[in-house]
Amino acid sequence: MQAAILVNDQVVSGWTKAQVEQGPRLSVVIPISERYDDLREIYLQHAREISLTGVSHEFVFVLDGPDPSALKTLRALKEQYPTIVVIITLGRRFGEATALSAGFEVAKGATIVTAPAYFQVEPSQVQQMLKEFEDRGQDLVIAWRYPRIDSVFNRFQSRVFHLLIRLLIGTNYHDVSCGLRVMTRQVAQEIRLYGDLHRFLPLLAHQRGFKVAEVAVRQSKSDARQRLFGPGVYLRRLLDILTLFFLYKFTRKPLRFFGLVGSVVFLAGAILTAYLGIDRILGVPLASRPLLILGVLWMVFGVQLFSIGLLGEVIIFTHARDLKEYHAAKIEDA
Amino acid sequence: MTDKTAVSIIIPVYNEEESILLVWQSVRRACESLGKPYEVIFVDDGSRDKTFDILKRIYQEDARVKIIRFRKNFGQTAAMAAGFERASGDVIVSMDGDLQNDPDDIPVLLAKIGEGFDVVCGWRKNRRDKFWTRRVPSVAANWIIGQVTGVKIHDNGCSLKAYRASVIKSVALYGEMHRFIPAMSTLAGAKITEIIVNHHPRRFGKSKYGIGRVWRVALDIITVKLIIGSASRPALWFGLPSFPVFVMGFLALIVAAVMYSEPQPSEWLVMSTVALLFFLLGVHLLSMGIIGELSMKTGDYLPNEVVRPTMTTH
Repeated sequence: MQAAILVNDQVVSGWTKAQVEQGPRLSVVIPISERYDDLREIYLQHAREISLTGVSHEFVFVLDGPDPSALKTLRALKEQYPTIVVIITLGRRFGEATALSAGFEVAKGATIVTAPAYFQVEPSQVQQMLKEFEDRGQDLVIAWRYPRIDSVFNRFQSRVFHLLIRLLIGTNYHDVSCGLRVMTRQVAQEIRLYGDLHRFLPLLAHQRGFKVAEVAVRQSKSDARQRLFGPGVYLRRLLDILTLFFLYKFTRKPLRFFGLVGSVVFLAGAILTAYLGIDRILGVPLASRPLLILGVLWMVFGVQLFSIGLLGEVIIFTHARDLKEYHAAKIEDA
Repeated sequence: MTDKTAVSIIIPVYNEEESILLVWQSVRRACESLGKPYEVIFVDDGSRDKTFDILKRIYQEDARVKIIRFRKNFGQTAAMAAGFERASGDVIVSMDGDLQNDPDDIPVLLAKIGEGFDVVCGWRKNRRDKFWTRRVPSVAANWIIGQVTGVKIHDNGCSLKAYRASVIKSVALYGEMHRFIPAMSTLAGAKITEIIVNHHPRRFGKSKYGIGRVWRVALDIITVKLIIGSASRPALWFGLPSFPVFVMGFLALIVAAVMYSEPQPSEWLVMSTVALLFFLLGVHLLSMGIIGELSMKTGDYLPNEVVRPTMTTH
């Protein structure tokens, strides 16, 4: 019988009490996707740092899609450290966010650390992150590679990405893409990650009222090489930001967004059409000026946007019960 | 507690450290006189002052108190929804945590529920707030809400209300719907009434509302109208406005046909394009209605879900 139980005031569902008590206190989840370095080295360096803290721990490696050579390395590790290493293989490539979710499902620790499968940050910085997490009682601590030692181009694209986030969403993070994070079990369980949303974990956590902090960490030297992505990647990032902008601000009130934009467009069209109508009555023929088409087009477009907002409201209404929008930190109940 | 809770009082609070203890004392006094088992649920909507510490002390002293604490400020609707969800009473009363409502009105509200009403709204007839920024917009908004939704209540914004638990728990609350609880509860077939309640001027802190919400409330009113009007048939709601749009399209087409026979070189072309645009919009609206219908059918909203309870007299 599995039941929801409490460990350190946090709800841990899906595990029996005995399992949690015997289990490790800390889980390190490492998603292995497109980019990874020597996994054995990754494990050894991180494990050494975490062993120094004296906390019982486990390492959950999530292979994002079958990868025989990586699996071989991990199996060898598991043979050597059978109680610490856990390996999960996803059936096909789902992306880093899904790999993280799969890892969170298996992780037993009350505290969960995510680490990249490549050297992005000096592993020695993990201790500092854990300290910040414990001492200041944060729900999520993210790493901020600062000062950055990589190329101007890398820094530039990161700056633009974060500037867009700040302008559209209003949160002020410097390095959301960094894979090293420390969080409570509750953060890991409450926030559903899919697609490329893992980048926005701090924003999603902040939206739900979790306490989020940034810690400046030393960047790894091997992370410094220049990265230029294809145009598709940049376009995807932009769409991600726009998706998040909408999710962040208007999930429960789509009409606030579409209604505002729709009304403005409609009004512009109506003014233009009225002006042309008056001109026509005063004797200026329409034929030489197809501006009427533009005016009516704007009006039609405005009504369309507005009706999309209304449709959104209908959808939200019918799913209001699934979309629990508040998140209680504590419930004191006799 | 051996008796089943009869009444749940829900009090959303946000940064009310000065008034919270006084609220609790006056609520307790009013509830003791009821002679029924009751519970008081404080919903701390992410306060950053000492509100939660004071609540915790109250909770430790009295087993009839429950506290729900939000991680951050999620707003009054979310606070009410959380309270409703955890309330165990047959009747639920909601009120403000700023001492502006008078707990002595609770027995009167409960008496109305006993008469068979499902939602009893307080009406702050002698409202003690600023005239131009609070009272005038409120009268206007309530009038419009009454006209549009057909639920003519004088004071939708008054937090002091009593609800039959079985009815209010089936009403979907999200966004900023707390202003429209009376209107939304008609979907559950609620019988609604209102009574005049006391209202005190603010003693501590300052009001958490300003006037810059007219546009948002206006859009919310449209949403509520849509949802009430189309709860079972969204296709109809979208379909009706598509009719005049088609008519406009035909008119534009006729004008174009007339112009075609005139010597004007290409004015008919402009008009027939306009006609096409109108037809496009009409088809768009019709198809939106069909998608809306789909959404209603597959969502978890079922219009006939609420079973009206048999009346219990106390």
